[in-house]
Amino acid sequence: MKDNEPDSCTDSAVPANGINSARKPGELVFTAFLCIASVYLLWEAYGIAGFEALSSPGAVPMATTAAMAISSVILLVRAIRLPRARAGVIAESVVPGVFVVFVLLLLAFSVLLKPLGFVPTAALFLVVAIKILGRRSWGFTIVVSLASLLVIWLVFRVGFTVLMPPGIVPEAEFIQFLRNVFGGGRS
Amino acid sequence: MDTLMALLTVITQPQLLLLVGVGTFAGVYVGAIPGLSVTMAVSILISFTFSWDVYPAISLMVGIYMGGVYGGSRTAILLNIPGAPCAIATAMDGYPMAQRGEAGQAIGVTTTMSFFGGLVGILVLAIAAPLVSDFALRFQPRDYMLLAVLGILLVGSLSPGSLLKGIFAGALGIAVGAVGRDPLTFTERFTFDFSLLDGGISFIAVMIGMFGVSEALLQLRHVATPTVRQKITRVVPSWKTVRKHLPLSLQSSTIGVVIGALPGTGGDIASLMAYDYAKRTTKKPEREFGDGAMEGLVAPETANNAAVGGAFIPMMTLGIPGDAVTAIMIGALFIHGLNPGPMLMVDQPEMFWFIVGALVTANCFMLLFGLTGIKLFTKIVEMPRSVLIPLIMLLSIVGAYAVNNSITDVYWMLGFGVFGYFLRHYGYPLGPVILGVILSRLLDDNWRRAIISEREDLWRFFDGVVSSPLSLTLMLGVILVFVSQTRLWSFAKSLLPRRKSPQEGD
Repeated sequence: MKDNEPDSCTDSAVPANGINSARKPGELVFTAFLCIASVYLLWEAYGIAGFEALSSPGAVPMATTAAMAISSVILLVRAIRLPRARAGVIAESVVPGVFVVFVLLLLAFSVLLKPLGFVPTAALFLVVAIKILGRRSWGFTIVVSLASLLVIWLVFRVGFTVLMPPGIVPEAEFIQFLRNVFGGGRS
Repeated sequence: MDTLMALLTVITQPQLLLLVGVGTFAGVYVGAIPGLSVTMAVSILISFTFSWDVYPAISLMVGIYMGGVYGGSRTAILLNIPGAPCAIATAMDGYPMAQRGEAGQAIGVTTTMSFFGGLVGILVLAIAAPLVSDFALRFQPRDYMLLAVLGILLVGSLSPGSLLKGIFAGALGIAVGAVGRDPLTFTERFTFDFSLLDGGISFIAVMIGMFGVSEALLQLRHVATPTVRQKITRVVPSWKTVRKHLPLSLQSSTIGVVIGALPGTGGDIASLMAYDYAKRTTKKPEREFGDGAMEGLVAPETANNAAVGGAFIPMMTLGIPGDAVTAIMIGALFIHGLNPGPMLMVDQPEMFWFIVGALVTANCFMLLFGLTGIKLFTKIVEMPRSVLIPLIMLLSIVGAYAVNNSITDVYWMLGFGVFGYFLRHYGYPLGPVILGVILSRLLDDNWRRAIISEREDLWRFFDGVVSSPLSLTLMLGVILVFVSQTRLWSFAKSLLPRRKSPQEGD
């Protein structure tokens, strides 16, 4: 159990084991990426004010990016020394197909959010996502998706008055209509 | 009198009372459903409540926090899946009890003891915070800086894996927090000449990405995990059982408050330490630890709820969060124009007493919801992940968009979500990242103030550190965290004569 202590009380419990006896597939590439990014950021931080003064706006950024660079270089060296776990295929264990599909779905959601509006985009997203994950009948998928969207919409749009892009749906008019019905046209 | 009125604000205003109640109720379920975390819920909620007044917003968040820390124990007992890391220790003895058909009893004891621990934590908060804040007024800028560094390092070092990964994560957070125009000199930092980055990266987008989307993406692997059903009988524990465990719960509450009050460390560490403590000190448990010992439930559950009150101490007095959730709450207070720190206690003491009042109320609601509604509970927890994961993602997008009504924030959120997924996958802790983002400004400002007051002379700075007992203690703390992770430490420990008693298993 001790190996699986997650990082904070309030995160949900996901096993995250930092000490490896063997290298995870793709670990070398990821650590190398962190390394290069850190060094680049260190260069950027140097560009802010150079070594002008200890109190310059670049001082803390330089210190932190230096910490990132040093720690990632050591981690990279350690990762290189570790034996490879097994001939693991990156696609399977690190980026499974469903992961790629969902990242693309989320991206599509964000792109369509503004032009199409929140309600239609969210409905499409939920139907597709629940269908992919649940593999249940279309009827079940659509009913569950629309019901949960209705609850979310009522709670957040009406309850919390969060403004989402209306897009092609005449949302404001609809809410006004609801208010007129329930509130006797007070607002 | 004013203090009493502020303390009772929540109870005297039905709207606030309702919000604390709703928050606690939601928190219990959010905490209990594996895959939903309190940090996730609070970070998503900030963006929805930020157009509200500060009192209702805080009421809701306090409720969710209190309920969520407790809620994790439910699924730990019933399904052997801790709903939250602070319930990991609970599963060790809670699940064996459930297997024997004593799930009801286990839940009852857990609830009462969580309530008790929560109360002790709040009491300590009410007594200690005013004292600490008096003391904190004497803090120098360098002390704040050192405390921030210590906090980030502590989270990094106590999370699993190597300290290096923790340091990397913390430094990354500070760097992300520095993006944009520097508030003092208006110099561009890490903007790569994009005017879009001038205002910095919305920390809420970072938070929702790291704790919402990355978690949901990781959960995609466990979609097919089947759910187990348990029968629950009597829940309310007998007075005899409660009385028997009172001394132990008092001791583990103390552990919880102290660990919670340390910047950066929260209920997960407190509960594991309390479990270990109970295992070492309980002479004759009715059952062996790991086989369903009641003590193994009492200790971690009192400790993690006591840690909630503890975590508020550094947050309210120093503006330095006690754990990830209080880090997010500090963000919420910033959004509402408040500046947590010693001056908040001086200028607006009613805010502090209001939070204490809200915590007490949330604790009472937790007891109420914990001992009732078990049937409904089992229904909700069995919600399939194939529905849950898309809903988390949807809420994350809504949350990220709602803060500034900007699609850019949604893209940032997605970016950090995917990045957070890889960080988690390779064992980098995310707690330090968030702490770094929140503390970046405080660290930067105080470093610059400190070094300017020492006329840019590093030696004078170190001289100042060594000659002030407080700064020296903090500095030694920072050094100790470093040394404790190196081989030097294990070497020094091996030199010490072995004094371990036989029952000290691990």
